[in-house]
Parts: sequence; C-alpha cells; structure tokens
Amino acid sequence: MATTAPEAPAQEVGAVQAFTVTLIVRRFDPEKDAEPYWQDFDVEMYSTDRVLDALHKIKWDQDGTLAFRRSCAHGICGSDAMRINGRNRLACKTLIKDLDITKPIYVEAIKGLPLEKDLIVDMEPFFESYRQVQPFLIASSKPEKERLQTIEQRARFDDTTKCILCAACTSSCPVFWTDGQYFGPAAIVNAHRFIFDSRDEAAQVRLDILNDKEGVWRCRTTFNCSEACPRGIEVTKAIAEVKQAILRGRP
Amino acid sequence: MTTIDAPRTPVNRTRRGVNLEKWGWMYMRASGVVLVVLIFGHLFVNLVAGEGVKQIDFAFVAGKLTDPFWIVWDTLLLWLALIHGANGMRTLVNDYVTKPKVRAALHFALASSTAVLLILGTLVIYTFDPCPAGADPELVASFCSTL
Amino acid sequence: MSTETTMTPTASAVHHHQFDVVIVGAGGAGMRAAIEAGPNAKTAVISKLYPTRSHTGAAQGGMAAALANVEEDSWEWHTFDTVKGGDYLVDQDAAEILAKEAIDAIIDLENMGLPFNRTPDGKIDQRRFGGHTRDHGKAPVRRACYAADRTGHMILQTLFQNCVKLGIDFYNEYYVLDLLLSELDGERRAAGVVAYELATGDLHVFHAKSIVFATGGFGKIYKTTSNAHTLTGDGVGIIWRKGIPLEDMEFFQFHPTGLAGLGILLTEGARGEGAILRNASGERFMERYAPTIKDLAPRDIISRCMVQEVAEGRGAGPNKDYVLLDCTHLGAEVLETKLPDITEFARTYLGVDPVHEPVPVMPTAHYAMGGIPTTIKAEVLADNETVIKGLYAAGECACVSVHGSNRLGTNSLLDINVFGKRAGKYAVEYANSADFAPLPEDPSKEVREMVERLRVADGPERLAPLRKTLQEEMDKNAQVFRTEESLGSVTTTIQELRDRYQNIGIQDRGKRFNTDLLEAIELGFLLDIAEVVVFSARNRKESRGGHMRDDYPDRNDADYMQHTMAYLVGDLHSANPEDHIRMDWKPVTITHYQPMERKY
Repeated sequence: MATTAPEAPAQEVGAVQAFTVTLIVRRFDPEKDAEPYWQDFDVEMYSTDRVLDALHKIKWDQDGTLAFRRSCAHGICGSDAMRINGRNRLACKTLIKDLDITKPIYVEAIKGLPLEKDLIVDMEPFFESYRQVQPFLIASSKPEKERLQTIEQRARFDDTTKCILCAACTSSCPVFWTDGQYFGPAAIVNAHRFIFDSRDEAAQVRLDILNDKEGVWRCRTTFNCSEACPRGIEVTKAIAEVKQAILRGRP
Repeated sequence: MTTIDAPRTPVNRTRRGVNLEKWGWMYMRASGVVLVVLIFGHLFVNLVAGEGVKQIDFAFVAGKLTDPFWIVWDTLLLWLALIHGANGMRTLVNDYVTKPKVRAALHFALASSTAVLLILGTLVIYTFDPCPAGADPELVASFCSTL
Repeated sequence: MSTETTMTPTASAVHHHQFDVVIVGAGGAGMRAAIEAGPNAKTAVISKLYPTRSHTGAAQGGMAAALANVEEDSWEWHTFDTVKGGDYLVDQDAAEILAKEAIDAIIDLENMGLPFNRTPDGKIDQRRFGGHTRDHGKAPVRRACYAADRTGHMILQTLFQNCVKLGIDFYNEYYVLDLLLSELDGERRAAGVVAYELATGDLHVFHAKSIVFATGGFGKIYKTTSNAHTLTGDGVGIIWRKGIPLEDMEFFQFHPTGLAGLGILLTEGARGEGAILRNASGERFMERYAPTIKDLAPRDIISRCMVQEVAEGRGAGPNKDYVLLDCTHLGAEVLETKLPDITEFARTYLGVDPVHEPVPVMPTAHYAMGGIPTTIKAEVLADNETVIKGLYAAGECACVSVHGSNRLGTNSLLDINVFGKRAGKYAVEYANSADFAPLPEDPSKEVREMVERLRVADGPERLAPLRKTLQEEMDKNAQVFRTEESLGSVTTTIQELRDRYQNIGIQDRGKRFNTDLLEAIELGFLLDIAEVVVFSARNRKESRGGHMRDDYPDRNDADYMQHTMAYLVGDLHSANPEDHIRMDWKPVTITHYQPMERKY
C-alpha cells in the first residue's frame, strides 16, 4: 500500500476556483538598477494560498532573480516580513483571500532599513538595537534547581515572549522611518520581556537605557506596531508599560 | 507610493549626561491637563458667561487684565500653551524633516519664534495700560474715568 | 581574527578566517554548543539564516525531563520509553545519557531565562506526551516541560539571547558548502569549512581545529512536511560527499498531526492536553490500536493507524482523505492559554476554529532519526569505530543514536540541548589540546568551481519542476508505508532527476543575494540525500519504527537488529545507486533492555 499525499484540503475548506492575481513587486538589484522600480507579475492562485506561495510561483516559474527571505512558511521564523498593500505583514501568514484581489497586490520590502535587493533589507541595524537593550536574563543567584516563579509572575510578561524578531513592528514605525537611532518597538518589546520577568535583576539598567532621547519617549503611540505584529503582541501597550516603569523608577 | 529607504540617521547612540526627553514627555501630559482647564475656563468666561460673545471689546479685555487673577491665568495659558505647541511642533519636525541642516534651521526658527512670542506676550500682560491717555472714553473701561 | 582576502582569476573574492572552534548551524544544537564553546575557545557560528530563523523555533510541545515536578518519575523510566519508542534500535548508553542529563539541561535553560509554564507552587510545569510513560509503560506520565505551545521558540530565543550575552561571533547568511579534511600524523582530521556569503557572493575559508555540524534535517525531500524551506540537508549532504557514512537514513518520522494538505505542525501537546483523533464516523480509532495509551502512542504508530484508517475508507472530508483532531472538549481557555499558536494556525490556514470544530490532520514529514553517525561525545565516525578527530555533529543532522527507528515527541529539543552541549564541550577540549590541521592547497577550489559553474549554468532544466517531482514522488513512494515496488519506482525517478540536474539552468547571474543559485545547490543536496534514504529503505526488509514496509510487515530482529551504515563509494554521479553506495551494518548498543514486542 503505497500511500498518497492528501490533496489540498483547500478544496473542501475554501473556494476551489483558481484565479489570476496580479502582483506588483518593487524590484531592486544594486548590481543592475540605479533606482528601485515596480514590476507586474500575473500568477494563478487559489484563495487559500498565501502571498509567499505567489512569490514562490514567480520565482520558480517566471523570474528566478526575484530575491526574498523565507524559511518556515508558517509565521514562526520571522524571515518574510514585507509590506503588502502598504501594510507590514508576514508573506506566509497573509492569505490571498484576505486581500482584495480585484486590485493588484503591491509587495515591497519593509521600510526604514537599508534595501539590499528586491524584498531583502539589511537587518543589522535592527539587531544592533536589539542587542543594546541587553536582551538576556541577568540574575546573580545560581540556584541548584529552577528559580521559582508564580503563574501570575510568569503571565506578567507572557505577551512579549512571543516576539520572533521579524522587524514588522519596527519597520512600520514612522518615528523609526526618519530616525534610525530610535530603538524601535521590537527592541523595547524584548526589553519589556526581561524588565517584567520576576527572576531578572537588571530592570533598572534597561529602564535607564530606554530612558533616552532615542528611547521610549520617542514613541508617538500611532499603534502601527501593534497593528503590524504578526504574533498579535500588544506592542504599543508594552511600550507604555515601560514608560510607566521609568516614571515609577521600578518595574 | 512613497518610498522610504534606509533610516536617515544611522545607529550611533552616545549617552549624554542630561536627558530632557522624559521631562518633555511628562511636560506634554501635565501641561495638557492644566491647559484643558485654562482654555475652557478662558472660553467660558469670554464667550458664555455674562452677555456672551457680544461683551468682548477693548474695555472687557482691559478690565480682565487689571485683575491679578486673570493676569496669572493668562500668563499660565500663554507659557504652557506656547511651549506645549512648540514642543509638539518640534516632534513633528523630527518626524518629517530628514535633512539635518533643514531640521536644525527649523528647530532654530521654532525656538526663536517661541521665545519672541513668549516675551511679547508676557510684556503685553504685565505692561498693559488699560486707560491709554487721550483715548475715546467710549472705548475704554468705565473705571478709567474715575482715574 | 586573521582575515585576508585574495581575488581568484574568476573574480570570486575568497576571505580567510581562523578559529579554534567553528560551529555550522545556529539552531538549538549549534547555539547550545556555542554557549559551551564560546567562553573557552575562539568560536564562530556560521549559519545560512539569522539564528532566530532556525527551525528549532517551530518546535511546539515541550522538552522531556524526569523532573518529577508534578508526579512520580525517574530518568530510568525515561530511558526505557526512549528505547522502546525507538523500537529497540536505540543505542542504550546514549539514551541513558539523554535521559540522565535531561534534568540538568532543563535547569540550565531555566537558569538562562527560559520562561517555562509554572505549577501553582512556582516550579516548572510538565505535561503528557506520546510514548512517555510511568514505570515502563503502565500509564502516561507528565514529563514534558513546556512554554505554552512555543517551547522550541522559547529555547531558540533563550539560546540566542545567551549567545548575545557571551558576545559569540556569528556569520549569518553564510552557506557552508564544503568540509575540509586533511591528513595530520597519518590521521584524517577536520581542517575547516568553506562558506558562501549570500549578501556578496564571496567565499570564506574558515580554518579551525574543531568543527561542529549542527545543520538540522532534510524534510524538504518530501512535499508534505512540517520542515522549513531551508531544511535541505546541506550539512548531511556535505558529510556524505566526503565519503563519511550516514546512519539509519531510512528512518524518517511522519508526525501524525500536520494540517491536512499543508503539513504545518499541530503539536502532540494537544493530545497531551486531551485532544482526540477521530475518523469520519467520529470513532476514537486509536482505542483499537493502542488500548492503553490510545492517542498518546508514539508517532510512528499513530501515523500508520491514520493512514490505514484513510486507506480503509474511514477518512473524513469529501475526499475521505484525512482524519480529525478533536480539541473541542478542551474548552476555549485551555486552547488560548496552553495551545495558542496551533489554535491560530488552524484558524489562519484552514479557516477552522478548534474551539468549535475538529481540525483536519494527516501525517507530515517531520524528523530524520538518521544522519551523521557520532559517538556519545558527539564525535563523527568514519566507520563503526574510527573517530574523525576535530569533527563533531549534534542535533537532527546527527545520529547518536538516541532515537533509533522512531523518536519520541519532546526528545528532539532534549537531544539538541544534551548533545549540543556535549559537542561544544568536547570540541573545545580537543581544540585546546590539538594543533591546526593544515588546510589543503587551494581550499576553496571545489566550492569555487561549483559556484562559478552554476552561476552561468544555462541548461534547459529548471530547478523548481525537478524539486517538485522529487518531493511528490517521495511523498507517494517513500512516506509512511513503503514497498519494494514503490521504493524501486522512486529510485528510478531520482536517477532521472539526477541526470536532469546536470543540465540545470539558473536565471540569476548576480552575486548579491543570489538565492536562485543557492536553491540550485540545495537541490543537489536534496537529490543526494533522497537517494541515500531510498537506498537504505530498500535495504531494510523489515518494518520497524518509522520504517514500515508493507511487503515485510514484521520486525525482524534476527537480521535487522542493527544500524544501517551507507557509504559513498565511487562516482557520486553514476546513474545506478548500487554503483556508488555501499551498505554496511553497525551493532546496536544494548545495556539493560532486551528487545521485546512493542505494544502500547
């Protein structure tokens, strides 16, 4: 009994009809192009396909030079954050059926980070900010067993442990767009994760780092970050909690 | 669509001694609350109470500016609102102006116009003469005639 | 770091670096090794991805350790479960180490900051998982430590955070494409690796005393898989091409609960929390197959039962081609707090809300039990006994073998932590006692020639159809059930594909972020590995663990109670695998547990 792979259940769950979708992708190859430009592609898609599937279809069937990052393809690795119809999303978590397919789908690289090629940006400035908030547990005691933590203490920072460092939030932030020195939402989220961890002893250090000209005070509460987060983290709320902690002088 | 590429200023953070951002942030919120009272109080007294908007003339204003209560009120209103507005404008400039030189120029213009307005406004409040010599008695406050 | 740059006539810049320890791969095993090695030797981690993109992050359910925080447990029971779960093809000395060192591994992670879920008294909470039992199979036991259903994500983040803390040198988006071995004192030793830098197209030669391979799996030989697009088995392929054997490659785990048609993983932790598998008529069919532990039987058994239910016409859906994972009785709160991610996956990708309706699931290619043979010190073996000095492997790419013919859920997150740590430790120990083995003359030659050839390749074949055919045929013929006929058919397919691969053409001629070129190279690894998997599967004429032969449905201890060892001999490109693959066997280490019939 040789087994066959199950056919796509898309056929039962969603509509089966294949249809043509136009993607307009912002291309840029620094080896060839002086300026980025927009290029159209028509692809056959099913409504339950993802934008990542559309990009793969372009790359594999039409134009192998299209460059983008991707890995896990189900929203957990954070590789494929991009701007889809003007909003920061993960390409692998954006289903075609959730977009208005009567119009073309615009896809471009996330903004505010140096464009490297097509949909790929240089992530180094983003990770530099992340590293600066000391995103690791700082605790002096070295217990025999696990450090104890109540369920409530653990729940306090649960939301911000979900971050996958995809940069969707930071690159949706208008403050970051014009001021690359701003730490950005993602770095603050990762600081939050430790500031409110009952086991950590260096909250004060991180609060001091973020009480900076380029720290939390630059946040204008536009909520772009909360809206962009593919993990549903309440980013703006986390930033506000850090602001309050700075005013209080403790977590 | 507009395009925004690399951040205009690369990451290069150096910690400075004094950090006014936190105080700026707190100022905006604190002054905001006070300004709500000051502005609505001002509007109510000027536009609603008494005969309403029809009562406003030189005499009405002059009358208010002889009362120490309103002098303090208006001074607070002037300073809090102007600094609040200027600080807000500063953040707008920071958000939208990317060229360092233009940004510096706008910051300078903003700071100097704010300073000029504060000085002029304060001068008006404290050096205001409610009964200018030789003015038409019809137009000035009634108490001028008793001087 | 000594870095010098030379330009070759073909204009590929080649940079040179020297480190004591070079770790290839920045997933759980690689970063755990780095945390061990970093403070004690000059260490670099080379990864084809940013570290936090590694597929460790997709692991969901938990990491096993007999902490006995919520009920009685012992590492000895854990060892037994691991051995039995692997259908006795587990090296029992390694399994003992795994279970014993599990406890420290969990405490290490907690101390590094991992936010485990907690019990009411503040200890690390534990939950049930498939195949983990109390007292040698009497009842399911709560052994899996977890952080909601993103345990792997939290492990990956915590390890990365600690690498940041230690200031580990990372070379991100560098594809290691070759391993350099050289003779020193009459022995073959590891000398370095050659990597391709994605951003620039430059090549980098890393000269090292110790090299740790932690490159993960190769699930992309299948179409329906929980694995990432980047899991193309590059590391295992490099090792294979160097003539180092691969062990137990026929054993591939198919995780029972992949979202039907998509293969996206739904954690076994769902069943650990009480979810039930049902067929079209709503029957809890696992009661028939594994009366004691039912839906918490090991993955190989459940996957087989699911495929059988579907084959016998009891599948659900209009095409009767999947079964259902019923979580509806768990309640919204359990789903939202303990299983939030999988709840969202079902909603996002199938439009099914697990709170109200059962989720369509089918087995999905998940984990390679086999890989690079290693000792319990993570040293890579050149044959059944000889260690290649300076070369280490850990994680999914390695075969210690703690998983035997079938891995228990939660044992892979454990594997990467225990053996990742060991690899780091022994790599440093060796590096601090040994000299650099000399680099071969022109070390980057092979990679440079391959890259230069492919960058201008303009043959008529496109890589996507080749890869698609491979994946579809592997799904059809070498998945949960295999026969001589199906394996023969896919052998022919792979031969054809390997021929066609020689005439491949790529479109991107550039140097910067040329992912077209890299996908072509990755396809080469996939084809090589698929060939070994299928060849090893044909060679094992019995059914054991993850390897189910319909034509040989029983386990045959008399002939096959031993590890498969596949060697590359002769011309890698010859059409017939029999011309270049030699099969051999390696005895299984048995300490306490004699093989028994495997019943649950």
